[in-house]
Amino acid sequence: MKVILIFDQGLAGAGGKTNPNVGLTATKGGIGFASSLQPHFNKIDAQVVATLYCGNEYFLANEQEVVTKMTAMVKKLNPDFVLCGPCFQYADYGKMAAEISASILTHTSVQSCAMMSKEVSDVIAEYKDKTPIVVMPKKGGTGLNDSIANLCSLMQASVNNSGDLAEIKTKVCY
Amino acid sequence: MEKLEKFLMPVANVLSKNKVLSAIRDGFLITVPITIVGSIFLLISNFPIAGYEEFMAGIFGAGWDGYLGRVTAISFDCVALLGVLSIGYCYSREKGLENRIAGAVVALVSFLIITPQYSMVEAEGLSEAIKVSGFKFTFLGTAGMFLAMITAIVAVEIFSWAMKKNLVIKLPDGVPPAVMESFAALIPAGITMIVFFLLGIVFSFTSFEYAHYFIYQVLQAPLVGLGRLGGFEVIYQFLSTLFWFFGINGPAVTNTIFAPIHKVLTVENYEAAKAGLEMTNIFTSGFSDFFCNFGGGGSTLALVIMMAFFAKSSRLKTLGKLSLPAGIFGINEPIIFGLPIVLNPLMAIPFILTPVANTILGYIATVTHIMPITNGAQLPWTTPIVFSGWLVTGSFMGSVVQIVMLAMDFAIYYPFFRMLDSKYLSEESETKNQTDELDDLSFDDLSLD
Repeated sequence: MKVILIFDQGLAGAGGKTNPNVGLTATKGGIGFASSLQPHFNKIDAQVVATLYCGNEYFLANEQEVVTKMTAMVKKLNPDFVLCGPCFQYADYGKMAAEISASILTHTSVQSCAMMSKEVSDVIAEYKDKTPIVVMPKKGGTGLNDSIANLCSLMQASVNNSGDLAEIKTKVCY
Repeated sequence: MEKLEKFLMPVANVLSKNKVLSAIRDGFLITVPITIVGSIFLLISNFPIAGYEEFMAGIFGAGWDGYLGRVTAISFDCVALLGVLSIGYCYSREKGLENRIAGAVVALVSFLIITPQYSMVEAEGLSEAIKVSGFKFTFLGTAGMFLAMITAIVAVEIFSWAMKKNLVIKLPDGVPPAVMESFAALIPAGITMIVFFLLGIVFSFTSFEYAHYFIYQVLQAPLVGLGRLGGFEVIYQFLSTLFWFFGINGPAVTNTIFAPIHKVLTVENYEAAKAGLEMTNIFTSGFSDFFCNFGGGGSTLALVIMMAFFAKSSRLKTLGKLSLPAGIFGINEPIIFGLPIVLNPLMAIPFILTPVANTILGYIATVTHIMPITNGAQLPWTTPIVFSGWLVTGSFMGSVVQIVMLAMDFAIYYPFFRMLDSKYLSEESETKNQTDELDDLSFDDLSLD
């Protein structure tokens, strides 16, 4: 399974709050937090082919451009699945992830999901019917490993379009 | 690793989600700003430079530090009083009370009801001690800390029970909300105060005489005694970083148990110094923050410096340079999730080992008198090393020990840093040498059809 990750600057390893204006960047393979996802991805034979990211403030200042260009890049690379997250409790990143995932599902044939903690409640309420949003803990909360395992079951079922997809969505998403 | 996580997860859940423990942890957090400001006043009156006191006395006159001492005394000598109020407030939140401040005030009042309200004072010219009305700092400070915690929880529990049982006076509609809330709290507050009134009487018939003496002897002294054991800080540091590795905020879990003990150990040193006695507690908050775990969880400052200046891969070098300014002030979030450290087995060993090694070195440096014992000052945890080591020990040797620790941390992290750097470097050179459409990704020439 070919996977694209959509990160903010923190997860991409491009600095945290100190570097919020980093522009749209595309990198081959997995970077930053991808290392922590890869052991789980190995179990479902998923390989990160590219990581796309930008700073949270860059997104807020250029919302439409970011969503449009991220979607176009996904369309061009045509992976099997796009993971927009994990966003933890970061509201800006959560909004970016949900918007991009919803846009990918609307404008391309690629499967996608967002992933964030319940603290981003406004975004979850607005987008949970437009994109699957996988439940995860906030930063420092318990259950991160379990939530990534849940994500993998959703990825596998989505790509294979398996019969239990709806059941898995109910179980692991908001 | 999975088995370990399966064991740790329920423990973390129980500790971090337990309402009582969370209220105690968060309650102490509320008092931290007060203690820090008090520490600044303490440092101004005892600045660790030879001749400073004489210099200040020359300008402001003898007894110049008496005014500063008032702020310090309230911050340190009333720590139980502040604790009962803040823990009462946090437990009211945990119990879902709307009127949290009422819960906090009831907790405070309950504590004062069972606190001795007089002291015996000896004075020259008097054949025997006389009874003087008023609260004594002794009972409002560290000696009352554990009683404050218990009182806050029990008082709010009773208050909340009465509120939820609807044992309230209801006033007609149209009465202002503030008056309505005040009257609603009347019966629950009354029940709580009567319970503590009766408890006070019960204790007066025992050999302990007051709840303070009972809790201190039965609970506080043995628990704080554990904090004086050599392994206390090692276990705290080990568990804190072990939880972080699994993505769980370690200190948020471990502080539910360890924070009250750290607090008592710290303030006891202040009280000893104030009384002219020798400070004996090694594992104070200052020791924990500035000698065990500087630069953020996992004591990663050395790693960040290596990344910024010695990394060959552009990915590590860039992240190191971006993370260094925050790392100097003890914040390492960019590398926790960006390097990453969370769930990254390669970094688990140095991440967990480094704070433990620092703790052992700091302990040895203290018991061998290479550096003085840490005093009761509680600085912001963002204070950079060298400054912090000097201020919390009152000696430049504190700074020297921190620099030695930093060198040791370099050595611990180095092999793992090199492995990661080589891995990233080979990935970067692979990208350069191979050519497919993924090697030339750019948003600039993207078709937006």
